[in-house]
Amino acid sequence: MTMTPGLREFVLTAHVTSSVGWLGAVIAYLALAVAALTIQDAQSVRAAWIAMELTGWFVIVPLALASVLIGVVNALGTPWGLFRHYWVLVKFLLTVFATIILLLHMPTVSYFAGVAAETDSVFLGGLRGELVHAGGGLLVLLVTTTLSVYKPRGMTRYGWRKQHEQHTVSQP
Amino acid sequence: MKTMRKLLLRRVTEKDTHMADPLPYPGTPRWVKVSGIVALVVVLLFVIMMLIGRGGRHGPGRHIPSGGGLGGHTPPIEHGVQQL
Repeated sequence: MTMTPGLREFVLTAHVTSSVGWLGAVIAYLALAVAALTIQDAQSVRAAWIAMELTGWFVIVPLALASVLIGVVNALGTPWGLFRHYWVLVKFLLTVFATIILLLHMPTVSYFAGVAAETDSVFLGGLRGELVHAGGGLLVLLVTTTLSVYKPRGMTRYGWRKQHEQHTVSQP
Repeated sequence: MKTMRKLLLRRVTEKDTHMADPLPYPGTPRWVKVSGIVALVVVLLFVIMMLIGRGGRHGPGRHIPSGGGLGGHTPPIEHGVQQL
């Protein structure tokens, strides 16, 4: 399944946009957590929790899901494939891992944001957890971005076999 | 005559190369092995930290509700900033 050049460029643009958007949104999320921890004012912490929940559910989660899905379409629709090159495979696994952690973590953020919105109480300890999650997420996204740009060499055994099969078929 | 022989030999060699078996799989690249080891060390450190309790409340269990209507979280202190 190979896409036409026009469609391939469109899918690639969508993939880059969603992935880089995800990275930017995580940085914004991290800034909220750092600001709330630095100021330590009850009102700021409450506002940070509410903003982080909104950013998480309405920006980060959609961008993460879009990045994974469009990334799979992009890989399968080009000669790169999804399982042929190590850099594509590693990037895919890291993105799926980050998305799973994000989806598992967001209910916790909603809980803290709910408490912050409905009562006069706020959590600071939870914010330290946010630093760990958002910081880890940012690290993973920086690794995937680096892999996309440098595309380190190395084919999987499956990719090697497929390449040889195609080479044999193309030979007269 | 000598040149002719050389040309013939080269043709035979090219033909042999063309018909030869495919190149064997070169193996997993070094960067994949190093990254795999680093990832394994990070996971092991994380597991050890969880086991000795230095991870605080962090960990997969933090995300799993444990009843009581609070999803496994302790209730916050009213009217203030709680340092957890």
